[in-house]
Amino acid sequence: MATTLPYRPSNDSLSASNNRQTSGLPRLSPAASFIGRSPSSSHGSFRRTSTENATSSFRPRRCKAQYPLDSPERHVEYILVASFHIDRGPIMEHQYPAAISGDESMLAELMLPDQTHVRSQDWTMFFLHKDTSGDEETDSADGKKKKKRKSQYHGNQAGADIQDEYLDDISDDPDSSDDEGGEGPPLMYVLNLVNTKQDNTVRRGAVVKAMAICTRHSFLHIYKPLLLLALEDYFKSPFPETLASLYDAVNAMDLSLMPKMSILERHILQSSNTKDMFLEKFEQMIRQREEEELQDGECPPSPKKASRYALPRDTHEYESKVVYNDIPIPVKIPTVIWPETVGDFSLIKLIQTFAVPHATSPQAFQAHPHLTTSGPFTHPIIVLVNAILTQKRVVFLGHNRPSGEVAEAVLAACALASGGILRGFTRHAFPYTDLSKIDDLLKVPGFIAGVTNPTFANHPEWWDVMCDLPTGRIKISSHVEPAPVTEGLLFFQQQNSLLPNSASSTTNDPTGDTLFIEDILRSISQRHGENAVRAKWRAYITKFVRVAAAFEEAVYGASNLYIIGPGEELSPDSPTGHQTDASDPTTLRGHGYVWVDEVAKQRELSASVSRIEGWRNTRSYYSYIQDIAAMYFPARPIQRPDIHHHHDRLRSLKLSHSEAAAIYLALSHSVKDYAGICQLLTVAPENQAGLFYVSMGLFHPDQVVREATADLLGRIAAHPAGRHFWSHLGRFAKLGYIRVKREQDAATQSPISGGGSPVPTSPGASFGGEPQSLVGVAMGGGMKRRS
Amino acid sequence: MGVQVSKMMGKIFGTKEMRILMLGLDAAGKTTILYKLKLSNQDVTTIPTVGFNVESVTYKNVKFNVWDVGGQDKIRPLWRHYYSGTQGLIFVVDSSDTARVEEARSELHKIINDREMKDALLLVFANKQDIPGHLSPEEITQQLQLTKLKDKLWYVAPSVATDGTGIFEGLAWLSNNVKTQPQK
Repeated sequence: MATTLPYRPSNDSLSASNNRQTSGLPRLSPAASFIGRSPSSSHGSFRRTSTENATSSFRPRRCKAQYPLDSPERHVEYILVASFHIDRGPIMEHQYPAAISGDESMLAELMLPDQTHVRSQDWTMFFLHKDTSGDEETDSADGKKKKKRKSQYHGNQAGADIQDEYLDDISDDPDSSDDEGGEGPPLMYVLNLVNTKQDNTVRRGAVVKAMAICTRHSFLHIYKPLLLLALEDYFKSPFPETLASLYDAVNAMDLSLMPKMSILERHILQSSNTKDMFLEKFEQMIRQREEEELQDGECPPSPKKASRYALPRDTHEYESKVVYNDIPIPVKIPTVIWPETVGDFSLIKLIQTFAVPHATSPQAFQAHPHLTTSGPFTHPIIVLVNAILTQKRVVFLGHNRPSGEVAEAVLAACALASGGILRGFTRHAFPYTDLSKIDDLLKVPGFIAGVTNPTFANHPEWWDVMCDLPTGRIKISSHVEPAPVTEGLLFFQQQNSLLPNSASSTTNDPTGDTLFIEDILRSISQRHGENAVRAKWRAYITKFVRVAAAFEEAVYGASNLYIIGPGEELSPDSPTGHQTDASDPTTLRGHGYVWVDEVAKQRELSASVSRIEGWRNTRSYYSYIQDIAAMYFPARPIQRPDIHHHHDRLRSLKLSHSEAAAIYLALSHSVKDYAGICQLLTVAPENQAGLFYVSMGLFHPDQVVREATADLLGRIAAHPAGRHFWSHLGRFAKLGYIRVKREQDAATQSPISGGGSPVPTSPGASFGGEPQSLVGVAMGGGMKRRS
Repeated sequence: MGVQVSKMMGKIFGTKEMRILMLGLDAAGKTTILYKLKLSNQDVTTIPTVGFNVESVTYKNVKFNVWDVGGQDKIRPLWRHYYSGTQGLIFVVDSSDTARVEEARSELHKIINDREMKDALLLVFANKQDIPGHLSPEEITQQLQLTKLKDKLWYVAPSVATDGTGIFEGLAWLSNNVKTQPQK
């Protein structure tokens, strides 16, 4: 129980002035850990409930709501109804609470997808660019007011200089450093349901009506059951009142107990399968609410009102309800929402659609350096991702498929290429579109569009890559623009001619993509689930970006894609693993992606040259550069050393004892506070062995290293998220931890460690007589939670 | 003669494919014709086409890929996207809707004056011949000003789509004349 977390004055002096919320100012060293300074609060916390643990040791701040009660933003901004008029074609019938102020007929056309008449029901999605503020649309980058249209389908945005648009938005909220970089004015997401009812009493035998919900939430799929009910009602009573009651019902939905998460927390939560990860935050939200209510005297102080607000069963989702016409409809809102994740789609479904025909009878692609990165038989999914990364025009065609299906494929493709890291894809995605928008569509340089009309297949000049959903085949257009020859390409051609051994392709998978796809397919066939597959794609895109950074450094001498930490230099004679300041372990050098050796690096870089060069001029490339600048502090509280790099070295290299020691010491000295631990956890996700590589420091021959590692693990185990990682660690590592602690206590028996903890810690009593060490609690806790 | 031609085509090409675009004002009977071609002996009831329908019909060794596109005036500008690669145009006219024959003429001439349609065969169905007060095929020819057309193969077939009268005769004309068209 009384595990001592040693008090280290040397660190403390550094950290006292550092506050997590010093917005904007660069922090030269990582902030102090609360644990390190207040052992009295931490020591007992293992025994307490997770909430108290969190509040006392890590979360003194008030937990903010993601969607506060008093927010002026509504969940749903408009409800629309359109119908297919037998003489006039698509028309808008009603809009509530006001007209959406745009091209009505354009909206009505989108709401009535092609071939609606052959099915009784269909879903679609589309996005509108509509400014939040006021009534004038400032859609294009230079702020020019667009003529009449205020809400626009984003084809019209065409030539706008997107880069500037993003620049403007990044700076608009300097306080909320937790927020991710700006995305431009948020998109308006539209979920649309269309019903066709055969009716012999009307002229030409059928009524086709569509109802749509316009929201700025990307989880628009939760409104599906409501639309089903409301559209049915609208057939019975086609009046604005039907729209109004839906509007009021959805906006009364209460999400105010959903905590706001930082980018690192979201990253950890998403890559974890632990169902109670960050449960503390939910508990805190409830407690805050109860305190407020107590102050307001709203509810009588009942003795134990545990049931008033329920904790989520799985912290990945927040459960709420919408009461429509006295029917409570449960809804589940994802707690982690990444950019480019809109609606509910399945990466697994998308991958299988194209992987299965390829596996049974592969077809050769027409070669294009950006796309067929592993030769003519490059896996179609890799071709698709390459196409999106290099900003090609991608069309998903689903002839005779519901338009909801092509929309899902488009949204999945956006998420695939984004990995939650890159963005700018959904903004130029058209989940469902038709011929009426083709002129606008063709003005967009690089898009992802979903269509059901096979006439698109007859127009190869409209697209670069066509993904046919019914056949599961991907085709590269004969009209695709050839890849330009770039500096980087020439550089690597020269290099390869100088290095004869690397030029001969010894491996047939220099990009590693074949292995990666095999791994993904294995995950799918072993039913690891959607979340696992998304996490793998996230890792893939992370790697792509890191390889691109290494490429830029190799070719151009510096990279836009990585901000090097303080004290770090970009020169070949500042080797990785070298310590700038011998007295400060955190000055350990080295950054970026880790290859086993130089040959492997050259091989992978030269195989990836084309697509990296193809990516370097795209919207997602420029927004990424802005993101890393904007997210520098929130996403990287520890700037020095590059913990991702050094953790990768532990994982993939054979290091000497002294090299490994330098890394363990650097980690232990830099990873101290709440955010710092979060950052370390993001580079050691559960699906990549978690803390295993860190825990190996417990077995290092040098005692200082062992103790430093034990201290680090102790801090992690007391961390609200870290405790789950700790409990997943193997018994071997935990025993190692106990041994180190015992040695440490036996050796020191010092007043510091004793004084830090109110419980007298004679080592024997602590670990022998009372076996509820950290290990026991963590393991026991983990098991209890699961049951 | 049709049999001879298709025999010859069969020898040279096996089964031939032909892309057909079927247009006309709303409620002219396009979708009914399409499904009467596809499902010859069944009754067909249709509702207004939102967007398009496309079906393959094999007749006399020619595989016709017939595109039927919705006809409401607002969506007519979309017709042009279907032109490229089209070898035959079927234009359907409601012979009983005398008030809109002029509108039909104007739309038809817009289509066939498009560069991408210059080589396409033109088959006009003078549809709804069963409704009293309808125009005869000759009157339709005149009202649509087909005789003015230069360098165009055209044919007007009287039809009653709901019972299938005349539609296969129209298709036969297309398959007989497809040989004079340049290969796709």
